[in-house]
Amino acid sequence: MKLLLKLVLKDFKRNRVITTALAMFLILSALLMAGGIKVAVTMASSLKGFNERAMPPEYLQMHKGTYDEEAYWNFVEHHDYIKDALIVKMLNINNANIIYKGETLERCLMDNGFIIQNNGFDLLLNMDNEIAVVQKGEIGVPVYYGEVLGIQVGDVITLHKDDFSKKLTVSTIIRDASMNAALTSSKRFLISQVDLDEIRMHMGEWEYSFEFLLEEGASTAILGKDYMDAAMPSNGVAITGKLLTMLNGLSYGLTGFIIIAISMLLIMIAILCLSYIIRATMAEEHYTIGEMKAIGFPGKAIEKLYQMKYRMLVMIAGVIGYLVAMLFGNFFTSSVILYCGYGTREWMEWVFPLIGVILLILIVMFKCCRIIRKNLKRTVVELMRGEEKIKKEGHYTLPLKGLTHRNLVIAFGELKCKWKEYGVIFFVFVFSSFLILLPMNMKNTIENPSFITYMGVGDCDIRIDIQYSEKLEEQKNVAISYLDNDSEIEKYAVYQNGHIQFQNADGDWEYIRVENGDASVFPLVYLEGSPPDDSKEMALSYLNASQLRKEVGDLVTVVYKEEELLFTVCGIYQDITYGGKTAKAAIDFDEDDIEGYNIYLDVRDGVTIEKKTEALRRILTDSKITPISEFISQTLGGISDNMSMVEGVAITISLLLTILITIMFLQLLTAREHSAIAIKKAIGFSNKDIRIQFGIRILIIQSVAIIVGTALAKFLGEIIFGWMLSSMGASKITMLIEPISAYLICPAAQLIVVFITVTVGTKVVRNYHIRDQIIE
Amino acid sequence: MIKVEQISKSFKDTKVLRDISFEIKKGDFVAVMGPSGSGKSTLLYSMSGMDSISEGRIMFEGINISEMKEDELSGFRLTKMGFVFQNAQMLKNLSIFDNITLPGLVAKKESAKDIRKRASKLMKRMEIAEMKERDIREVSGGQLQRASICRAMINNPKVLFLDEPTGALNSAATDQVLAILEDLNRDGMTIMTVTHDQRVAAKARKVLYIIDGEIAACKEFSVGADRVRELDDWLKGF
Repeated sequence: MKLLLKLVLKDFKRNRVITTALAMFLILSALLMAGGIKVAVTMASSLKGFNERAMPPEYLQMHKGTYDEEAYWNFVEHHDYIKDALIVKMLNINNANIIYKGETLERCLMDNGFIIQNNGFDLLLNMDNEIAVVQKGEIGVPVYYGEVLGIQVGDVITLHKDDFSKKLTVSTIIRDASMNAALTSSKRFLISQVDLDEIRMHMGEWEYSFEFLLEEGASTAILGKDYMDAAMPSNGVAITGKLLTMLNGLSYGLTGFIIIAISMLLIMIAILCLSYIIRATMAEEHYTIGEMKAIGFPGKAIEKLYQMKYRMLVMIAGVIGYLVAMLFGNFFTSSVILYCGYGTREWMEWVFPLIGVILLILIVMFKCCRIIRKNLKRTVVELMRGEEKIKKEGHYTLPLKGLTHRNLVIAFGELKCKWKEYGVIFFVFVFSSFLILLPMNMKNTIENPSFITYMGVGDCDIRIDIQYSEKLEEQKNVAISYLDNDSEIEKYAVYQNGHIQFQNADGDWEYIRVENGDASVFPLVYLEGSPPDDSKEMALSYLNASQLRKEVGDLVTVVYKEEELLFTVCGIYQDITYGGKTAKAAIDFDEDDIEGYNIYLDVRDGVTIEKKTEALRRILTDSKITPISEFISQTLGGISDNMSMVEGVAITISLLLTILITIMFLQLLTAREHSAIAIKKAIGFSNKDIRIQFGIRILIIQSVAIIVGTALAKFLGEIIFGWMLSSMGASKITMLIEPISAYLICPAAQLIVVFITVTVGTKVVRNYHIRDQIIE
Repeated sequence: MIKVEQISKSFKDTKVLRDISFEIKKGDFVAVMGPSGSGKSTLLYSMSGMDSISEGRIMFEGINISEMKEDELSGFRLTKMGFVFQNAQMLKNLSIFDNITLPGLVAKKESAKDIRKRASKLMKRMEIAEMKERDIREVSGGQLQRASICRAMINNPKVLFLDEPTGALNSAATDQVLAILEDLNRDGMTIMTVTHDQRVAAKARKVLYIIDGEIAACKEFSVGADRVRELDDWLKGF
């Protein structure tokens, strides 16, 4: 054993660069394996723990205006599958009336409601995941605002309208299982009953949420149908618990999902690289193995020696990778922990990653074992002659015109003959380029103002929201008269919104938001068909069409004012707002049924969007005015910020991987080609020439890989991104690429990194002394 | 042509060459003999600038090559020296013909067309003209060694260095190579070879015998002498 250990240590010293790079590779693999699993487990545990405590509703129906409370409780009583129910009264307050640090919340797109703590379920929790309690004069602020606006306990929120002003001290930051997610357009503040009563006297409008918990096995679709049949209050959106979970998952789980996906891919790459490296280093050991066999070393002892080397390496790497993942793993789960807290099963967060790392160690050991055994099967003569080295590789021909660019010609020629050897490094370079560009392209796409077209609206500059109020028409008219007379506005269009009932594929009726307005002002690119151009046509959002199982040309029956109307589906568009389920049709809603107006506008050239937004905010004080870029980023919540983090991590990991694989590859390549290096030196090539030839070969491979990776990031990226957003309502995403970053800076950065690595890595050529090589 | 002045070489604490001095004149054919590990190959590689020396200097046509940098030396080797190794070392991915022309094309002393012409001529002279497009693994050891000599000659070197040129060859192939070396030397080519083979050494005009890194003896043959017998007698003394 002592002898074996001595031999292993000697071997480490001899192959310092390869061993170090191999160790780094193994550490990275173990780190990603443990880190990826930790992220997955933390997310699952955190979400589960949070939902167990907060008990979000399984079905909720929003409603504004009057309702019959007695009829509601009767409905609950007569349906056995309803486990529990409640009515949440939410006082909606205009963002212009909520002031934090001297500024109103107008910049925030969220609708803000004030409620008291619920009874039974849908509980608002504090940051310790305990039921939040606030006293008179105190307020519990949604964690979303804690993150976005930096509101902290002790800060003061002022509610102000006309002469009324009420100061509330933030006593807790709250987690809200129903409306936590940045993707949910409403947020709930927790206040005391006394304060709620007082505020109601001066401002706000009631909105109600009728919420249900169901018995096990009961379906929300059946509840929805029964609810509609019983003519329960329902002029707002109906949301299922599943949709809430999805919104939550997308909001703070996206980073986690991407990290897990990257980890899994990287582990696959790492295992591929490892088996290549082990095979290549073993090929260099043929002679030594042959010698050991020749002097009578038993096969088992040789196997043990080589296994010991890799076993030691992988075990040390596994321990380091696991410890690092445990220490820094929370970096990727910070978002889910912030919004949902630590889960209930913390033990899983360290046990499962440990299992993953052990699995990785076993896979590596198994791979080593197979390769070593395969080598040991060869005869002494085969091993010592190095049979593998004399495999036929093919020829290249020197140009008849001579060698104007000798290093280029030789590098190309050798690459032509040995391209198979470059498979692994090519694959790693492709992956690296893909990994750098995918999050970057996704982020650019999200941040581009034209992303609005995935929100059911054509490209425009500013959006004005006029929400339901008693003065809705008046507000709209004020806005229109102002816009008509503002010379800085190039064009605008007003869209009326209301809800009508659709019959879904199961025959159940559900409410869907319908927009009515001139589609030609801000034309939208349709997935199929075109916008409605008469009163008998209707365009459906992608998610709506797929759930209703409708295609262009199909008929769709809707109910408005208890009257069945028949429309022809004229087009399908992408929309990720309102749960992805919207429609466009020329339905002339009654004044009472209009839920709000959206006005979209373009400013003239030379007019700053931000300045115009400020000016409009000063004039149209009751409306919500948002630049489109801000609207997108707020609607997509933290996705964009998370993308930035993922982008940074992806760049770091990719470049690190590139450096590591290039170093190792060069070490193995130069070792394999020692005889060719010696011959070249002997016939007059300088060290510099030989290094340049290696550099050209690697850089050619990398350049091709970058092209492939960039194309994959664009085309495969669109599919991946489309798949990610299809659950939200956009299926066909066109990746918007920032050409300078994607096509110039990123490839240049990768090429520079490899260039530097090659410059350093090929220094080893100097050590290959002609005399030693030839004599060997 | 080449002056070796008091050169020594050490590997860590071991001195492999000790204070060696001698001279090779233009047109000389020098063989270096000695037991294994005596330092004869080290001497050859040091003289050709492929290996560094610890002390002394090597003057090649009045130029001190022991002070040259690696990249300078490679250019020098390319144009002034030719090399033939024991196991004909050639690049696997080039045909025999391209292996031969490569140093010529790199040196660019002549046009590509002229280099190819010269290569064909050399191959014809070495009787391997029909092997042009063959892979290096498709020819015999003797043929490959002759191709190595063609490659070494492609740039019209001033001196040809050979390290055990017949060490890996059978008797017939050895005879072929020896005939070529004799022929080249007759045409004025300066040759220095390291060898164990008395038949090779017998073709030289001067033989150096090295023991433990030192020149133990030097034998010069007179014109018309029975070199094989003289050499045999001389070697018996070691």
